[in-house]
Amino acid sequence: MGDLSQTAMEMTVIGGYLGAGKTTLLNHILTQAQEPVAVLINDFGDINIDDELIESADENTISLSNGCICCSLADGYSRALQEIKVRQPRPKRLVIEASGVADPAAIAAYGHAPGLYLNAVVVVLDGANAEQQLSDSMVGQTVANQIAAADLIVLNKRDLVDDPSAIWSELKGLNSEAMIVECTHSQINLNVLFGSQVTKRSLAPKTMGRFESRSHISDIPISRKALIDLIEQLPEEVQRAKGVLRIDEEPEIPMVFQLVGRKWDLRALAERKNPPIGNQIVVVGPEGSVPENWDKVLKLQEA
Amino acid sequence: MSEEPIKVFRAKKIVTMDPTMPNATAIAVQGDRIVGIGDSDDVSQWDAQEFDTSFEDHVLFPGFIEAHSHVMSGALWEFPYVGFYERVDPRGNVWEGCRDVESVLERLTRYEKDVGDSDDTLIAWGLDPIFLQGERLVANHLDQVSTTRPIFVLHASGHLATVNSEMMRRSGIDRHTPTPGVARNALSEPNGELQEPAAMSLAVNGLSSIWTAIMSPEAKWNYASEARNCGVTTIADLGTTPLTMEGQLEAWREATDQTNYPARVVVAFGHHDSGGSPADIDGLATLAVRLRDEEETAKLRFGIVKLILDGSIQGFTARLSPPYYVDPPQGHPGNGLWLIPPEQMPQIVSSYHRAGLTVHCHCNGDEASQVFIDAVEAALIEHPRDDHRHTVQHSQLTTTPQYQKMSELGMNANIFSNHIFYWGDQHAARTVGEDRAAAMDACATAERENVKFSIHSDSPITPMSQLHTMWCAVNRKTASGRTLGPNERISIHKALQACTIDAAHQLQMDNEIGSLEVGKLADFSVLASDPYEVPSEELKDIQVWGTVVGGIVHQAASE
Repeated sequence: MGDLSQTAMEMTVIGGYLGAGKTTLLNHILTQAQEPVAVLINDFGDINIDDELIESADENTISLSNGCICCSLADGYSRALQEIKVRQPRPKRLVIEASGVADPAAIAAYGHAPGLYLNAVVVVLDGANAEQQLSDSMVGQTVANQIAAADLIVLNKRDLVDDPSAIWSELKGLNSEAMIVECTHSQINLNVLFGSQVTKRSLAPKTMGRFESRSHISDIPISRKALIDLIEQLPEEVQRAKGVLRIDEEPEIPMVFQLVGRKWDLRALAERKNPPIGNQIVVVGPEGSVPENWDKVLKLQEA
Repeated sequence: MSEEPIKVFRAKKIVTMDPTMPNATAIAVQGDRIVGIGDSDDVSQWDAQEFDTSFEDHVLFPGFIEAHSHVMSGALWEFPYVGFYERVDPRGNVWEGCRDVESVLERLTRYEKDVGDSDDTLIAWGLDPIFLQGERLVANHLDQVSTTRPIFVLHASGHLATVNSEMMRRSGIDRHTPTPGVARNALSEPNGELQEPAAMSLAVNGLSSIWTAIMSPEAKWNYASEARNCGVTTIADLGTTPLTMEGQLEAWREATDQTNYPARVVVAFGHHDSGGSPADIDGLATLAVRLRDEEETAKLRFGIVKLILDGSIQGFTARLSPPYYVDPPQGHPGNGLWLIPPEQMPQIVSSYHRAGLTVHCHCNGDEASQVFIDAVEAALIEHPRDDHRHTVQHSQLTTTPQYQKMSELGMNANIFSNHIFYWGDQHAARTVGEDRAAAMDACATAERENVKFSIHSDSPITPMSQLHTMWCAVNRKTASGRTLGPNERISIHKALQACTIDAAHQLQMDNEIGSLEVGKLADFSVLASDPYEVPSEELKDIQVWGTVVGGIVHQAASE
C-alpha cells in the first residue's frame, strides 16, 4: 500500500474576511499539530508563538520544535512553496492563508498541481459580525463569495453570539453542502480540519469534542456506484472522509477523494510519479458515530 | 574641469508648454540642461560652440511623458505578437493585426523556425479571441504549426493561454488533469485552453519564460525604445518591478546609467510586494523613501507607491456603484472584486502618506475611486500635507462630485483614455451602458473641476503612443468609428498639457521636465508636423522623428 504523503503534499486553503480569526486558526494549527505542517501566511508579524516552541526564526521563516514551519508569503506563493518543497523532511501538509479579500477557490486551484493534492477550502467567519458583513454594500459580496467557495465553514467567535440560527440559515442559503463547525478563538479540532488523525487525542481539549476515525484499506478498484452508495449511507454526523483510491473504470489512475459536509469531490491525482496503490479511505466523526461496518458496500463489492 | 560645450538646436517650431514663452525656434543645451531658449536673434547671447540644424523641418515639444505603463511592455517583444490591432515593436517593425485564426497560425508558423532548439517553447502574446472571426483557436489549430515543439500563446487579457498538444504532452496535461480551468472539448479531453493562473502555470516554460523576460535587461531596453519611437522621454513603470527582489534595482541602474539608454524611468513600488501587514508596509515605505533620497540618478526615479484596489471594467471586475454592470456574463456575482479590503485603505494610504510618498491607486470603478478618495481625505485630516499629488490611476468612472472632491484635496488623475477606442463599443453595449460609457474617462470633467490630469496607455494593455492617446482624448472615437461622449472631449492643447507638464506634475518632476524652460532637462519630442496645425482626427498619424533625452539625440527606429 503506497502512502499518498510520499507522493504529494496535501494543501488546505484558509480564507475569510478581515477579523474572522484566520491568524488565530493558523497559530492553533502550528502549535497543536502533531506532525509537520507548513503554514504559508500573509501577516507574518501577527503570528504569535511561545518562544519555547520556536526552534529558529529568520525574516521569512519560523521553525517550531514540533516540526511545523511558518513561511511568509511576502515574496509570493511560488517562492514560499519552493522553499517548502526542498525542506527535509518535507512537510506532509501545506496550509495557505488567503488574503482577506481573496477568492480562496482561485488559490485552491493551485492545489491540484503535480506534487500537491487539495484537502479543503476552509473559510473562517466572525460569527458576531458575519450578518452585518454580508449585508454591507462594499464587502458583502466578497464575504458571500468566500462562503460559497468553502468546503468547511468555521463559524468562529461563537461565544459572542446568543442565537446562531439566523446566521446558520444564511450560510445554508449561500452554501448548502459545506460542513459548518462552530467554535471560539478558532479552536477547531484538527482532525476535522484535516480529515484524519493529526493531533494526539489526549492533547485535544475536551471542549473540542472527541472524534474517532475508521479506515478502509483494500487492493481492489472500486466502482463509482459503490463509492456513491458509501457516501449516501454514511451517518449524518460523519461529515468528513477522505482517501486515495482506484476506480474500476480506469484503475491505472489514482484518485483523490474528499468529503466535507455533504460536498464531495473525486479527482485524479496530478502527480504520476510513485503513485499510491490500492484504496485507502478514512472517515472521521464524533466518537461513537461511525458504525463498525460503515464500509460494507465496499467490502461487498470486493467480495 | 572644462565646461561642457553649448549646443544649439534649431527647429521649424518649438512648443515650450511654458505660457511665459509658448513658442521658440532655437534652444541651447549644455550637458543635459536647457541653458537658453528663444529665436534666431537670441542665439548670439548663448556662446554656442555647436549647432544642430537637423530639426529645421521639425517641431519640438517637451518630451512626452507616459505616466502609467509597465516594463512588461518591452519584455513581450521577445516573443511574436498575434493580437488583433496593429502594433509597432521597439525596432520599429509594424506588426499587422491578426484578423482571423488563419493569420495567427501563419504568423506562428513563420516564427516557429526562429526559435532555436527544437525543445524550446514558441511563446506568442496578444491573442484576443473575442475579435477573431470563425472558430475559437484551440490546440488542434496550433498543432498545424508544430507537433514537436511546445507552443504557448498568451491572450491579451493575461488571464488565459492556449497551448498545443506537444505542450500538453510535456506538461502532463491530459483528460485526468484535476486542475480547474483546463478547458475541455465535448469528449472531456483538454482542448489546449488554460484559464486563469493555476491552469496556465501547468504549462512548463510558459508563464515562467514570460516572467524571466520581464526581469531581463532586454525588457528594460525595449521598453525605452518603444518610448523613443513614440516621442516619449519619461516612462513610469507603475508597480511591475519587484524592487524588493535582489538585483532589480541594480538592473535598472545598469540600463539607465548608459548614455544611450533613451528614456527616464520612474519605477513605482508595488504595494502588493509588501506582503500587506502593517510592519511590512512601514518597511516598504522606508525602502521607497531611501531609494528616492539616496539612489536616484538623472534617468532613474522613485518615490511613488502603486496600489491596486479593484479589477478591470472589460473583465467585469471593477468595483462599480449601483446600477452595477449592464450585461455581465453568466454567473457574474453582481459587482467587481476588491484587491485590497476597503477598510484597510485608510491605514495603508496613511502609512505611505506619512512617509512623504505619493500614492497612485488603480481605481477603474467609481466605487474604488470613492474608497481611495476617502482614504486620502482621512490621511490628510490626520496628517495635513501640502502638495502630496496622490493620484487616481485609470480613473475611468470617476464622477463629477468625485473630481470636485479630488480638486479640494489636491489630488491628481491619470485617465485611461485609450479605452474609448479599444473597448468603448463594448462599454456602451455590455459593461456600463451608453450613459456611463459616454461619461467615462472624463477628461473634460477633470479639466472643469480643476483636477490636474494625465492620460495613458497602460502599455502593454494597449500600445504605447502618446499621440494616439491624445487622439483618443480629443476625438473619443471608438473602434467602430462612433464618437462616444462628445462632451468629454478636450482640446488639443489640453491633451498636450496632459502628456507633458501635467504628467510631470503628477510624477513630482515638473521642476525638471514637462516644459522647455531654462534650467530644465533637455528632453524633447521631435515631430514631423505640428499637432496644433493638423486636423484633430490626424493627431495619431503625426510622424515621430525621435527624441532628445538630456541633450542626447535618439532617432526612432523604423522599418
